[in-house]
Amino acid sequence: MWLIVALCAALVAGCQPRDDGTWRFGLASAPLNLDPRFATDASSVRVNALIYERLVEFDAQSMPIPSLGAWDALTPTHYRVTLRTPRDVFHNGEPLTSRDVEATYRFVLDPVNSSPHRGALTIIDKIVAPNDEQVDFFLTAPDPIFPARLTLGIVPARLIASGHRFQNSPLGSGPFKFAERPDENRLRVIRSADNQPVEFITVKDPTVRVLKLLRGEIGMTQNDLQPELVRYLEDQGGIDVIRAPGTNFSYLGFNMQDPVLSRRGVREAIARGIDRNAIIQHMWGGAARRAGALLPPEHWAGTADVPNYDYDPEGARRLLKQAGYGADKPLKLTYKTSSDAFRVRLATIIQDQLKRIGIDIEIQSYDWATFYGDIKAGRFQLFSLSWVGVKSPDIFRYVFHSQSFPPEGANRGRFSDSHADYLIEAAEQGLSLEEQAHYYRLLQFYLSYQLPYVPLWFEDHVYAGRDGFRGYAIAPDGNFSALRDVLWVGKTHAD
Amino acid sequence: MIGGKTIRVWIPAALCALWVVVAATGSWLPLAPNEIHLDRILLPPSSQGLLGYDDLGRAILDRLALGAQTSFLVAAWVVTLSLLIGTTIGAVSGYVGGWVDHVVVRIIDVLLAFPGILLAIALAGVLGPGIDNVVIALSAVGWVGFARLARAQVLAQRQREHVLAAYALGAPARRILFVHVVPMILAPLIVEGTFAVAGVVIAEAGLSYLGLGVQPPEASWGSMIRDGARYMLVAPHMVLAPGVALMLVVLAVNLLGDQLRDYLDVRTRGEMQSAGA
Repeated sequence: MWLIVALCAALVAGCQPRDDGTWRFGLASAPLNLDPRFATDASSVRVNALIYERLVEFDAQSMPIPSLGAWDALTPTHYRVTLRTPRDVFHNGEPLTSRDVEATYRFVLDPVNSSPHRGALTIIDKIVAPNDEQVDFFLTAPDPIFPARLTLGIVPARLIASGHRFQNSPLGSGPFKFAERPDENRLRVIRSADNQPVEFITVKDPTVRVLKLLRGEIGMTQNDLQPELVRYLEDQGGIDVIRAPGTNFSYLGFNMQDPVLSRRGVREAIARGIDRNAIIQHMWGGAARRAGALLPPEHWAGTADVPNYDYDPEGARRLLKQAGYGADKPLKLTYKTSSDAFRVRLATIIQDQLKRIGIDIEIQSYDWATFYGDIKAGRFQLFSLSWVGVKSPDIFRYVFHSQSFPPEGANRGRFSDSHADYLIEAAEQGLSLEEQAHYYRLLQFYLSYQLPYVPLWFEDHVYAGRDGFRGYAIAPDGNFSALRDVLWVGKTHAD
Repeated sequence: MIGGKTIRVWIPAALCALWVVVAATGSWLPLAPNEIHLDRILLPPSSQGLLGYDDLGRAILDRLALGAQTSFLVAAWVVTLSLLIGTTIGAVSGYVGGWVDHVVVRIIDVLLAFPGILLAIALAGVLGPGIDNVVIALSAVGWVGFARLARAQVLAQRQREHVLAAYALGAPARRILFVHVVPMILAPLIVEGTFAVAGVVIAEAGLSYLGLGVQPPEASWGSMIRDGARYMLVAPHMVLAPGVALMLVVLAVNLLGDQLRDYLDVRTRGEMQSAGA
C-alpha cells in the first residue's frame, strides 16, 4: 500500500513543471544538424542562427543588412567584407577573424566536403583574407545580390583544420553558446549576455505542445500550431499569443507535362475554382494572407500588383467547357499530398471546391518520403507544398527555369517556357538591384498568367508563451532571434 | 427497474440492430457525410447538428453513419472470409491428420505466436491504404482462430458413433466431413464468430487510425477518432462521438456473444431457462 502511495507521489512530482531557472522552448521538429555548413532543415537553421553569427542578416524587405561584417562592392565582381568592431569572439574565447570567414567559405566551396550550401556559392571564384579584419570575395560574374548569399554561420578555422565535429559540439560566436544535448529531443544553450539557460524541447504533437505550455512545462513555442489551437490559447489566461505576417508560401502545383494540365485554360479553371478567401477565413481563422506570387509583396523584388484569380465558379465551368469537359465528361485528376493531417485537410477542401465546378479529384496521401520522391520524379498531376524561408529571388531559377528539372533544381512541375527563362536570365544579369527587381516583377506577372503554380497563401507566424516573458518580437522569416532580447518578468522563474 | 436480461440481451441486441440497420440503409438515408461547410468548422453539438461538426464542417452524425457502414462491411467480410477459410483448413487438417495436420498446426502456431494486429499492420502497409486491403490483411490473420477451433472440434467429432457409422457405410470423406462433422461444430464457431466481429471492428478502427484504412473523404470510426484526437482540446465532440459508438458496438457484440455461448452450452442453458422462468 505504502509502495503504491509513494509511486503515485513520485509520478505526480515528476509531472510538475521544473523550476530550475531554465527557459524551455517547444519545437515541432528536432534540429537535425548543428553544423551550419551542412544544416538545411528549418529547425536547425533557426537554432544554428543563435549559436553561430553570420556575415549578413535580412530586413523586413529581405534585403541583406550588415551583421558580422559590412560589405563594399569594389567592382561588380569584387566584394570586400569588413568585420565589425569591437571584434567578435568565439565561445571558447578565440577572436573571430577574417581567416575564420575565409576557412568557413573555403570548406563549403570544396566539392570534397559535399556541403548542400555549395550550389548557392559557386559564383565565388576566389576568397582572400588580406588581413584579420577583411575578406575579399572575387566572383566569376557580376552579382548585385551577392551579399544575400553570405549566410553561412562562421566557425573557427582552427577547428575546421582539426576536423572538429560541430554537429556534436557546436562552437560559434552567436548570442547563445551550446551547453549540452542529452538526447535528440533536447538541446540546451546558454545566453552569453546573462548566462540564462534555454532548452529547446521537441514535442511533435501540437496538442501536447499546447498542454505543456499551459502546464508550464515549456515556456514558449513558435509556429506549427493549428489555427484552432492558437485561438484556444488566446482564450487561456496566462498565455501571450503574438501573430506576425509570414513569408512561407503555400501553392498548388501542376504537372505541366500532363496532357490535360498542360492546357492553360484548365489550370485557370482550377485557380478560379478554389475559394482561397473562404479557406483563409474559416480554416486559417484569418491567420494567413492571400498570395499572388512566390515572393511576398514587401520583398524588394516582390509586387502586390500581380493579377490574382478570384473565386469564380461560373467562369471556371466556362473554361472547363471550352476545354471539352462538362457534366457528361467530368475532368478527373489525382492530387498527391503527404499524410500530414493538415495537408490532407487542405486537400479535402480543395477536392470539395473543385467538385463544385465539375472536377473529380482523387486524393492520394503518402508518407513524406514516398510523396516527395513522387513529386521529384514527376509522378503526379496536382500536388501541394510550401516554400519556407525564401529570401533571394534566385528561387525563380531553381523553381521555374527549364534547366532546373529535378535533380538539377526544383522545377517539379516540369515548366518549360522560353520567355520565363529569358526573364530569369535577364534578371540575373541585371547590374543593379533595381534592374533585377524589374525583371523579377515582369517574371511574376508572366508566371501569374501561365500558372505553373496556383499561389495559395502566406502563413502567419505565431508565437505563444507564458505571460511572464517580455520582448519577444517575431522575425519576418520566423527565426528565433528574439530570444536574444526576451526577459522574464513573472513572479517566479518559469520554465 | 432495468432487469439483468434487459442489460445483457435486449440493450445489446437493440444496439447491434441499430448498427446493422444504419449500415444497411445508410446509402439510402438523406445523409451528407462528405459535404464540407467551412463556416461550420468544429461547431459543437446543437439543434442544427446533433453531434456537432468536424474540422471540415461536416456533420459528425452523418459521418458516424458512414463509419458504421464501413465497420460493418469490414466486419462482415473479414469474419465471413475468416470463418470459411479457417473452418475449411481446420476441419480438413483435423480430419485428414498425418503430415497435413502437422504442417497446418505448425503454421497456426507460428501465426498465433505473432501479434495479429502487428501482422495486419504490416500487411496493410505492404498492400497500401484502402478498405479492400484492410479486409485482406485482417482476413489473413483472422482465419487462424477459426482453424484452431475447427480442428479441435473435428478431432473430437471424428470418433463419434454417427461419424464412424458413416465411415463404415462407405461414405466418401468429403461427405463425412461436410455433412456429418461440420454441422456439429458450427455452434462454437458461430460463438467464435461473434467475438471475432468485435475484434475486427476494433482492428479496422486501429488500422484506419493509423491511416491504413479508408482514404479521405470516406469515413470510418477509427479515422474519425484519429482526426478528432488532434482537436481534443478545442472540440472534444469530434473524438467522443465515434469513440462512444465504437465502444457501444463492441460491448454490445461481446455481450450478445456471451449470451449466445451460454445458450448453446447445455450445462448453462438449463440455468438460463430456470432463471428466465
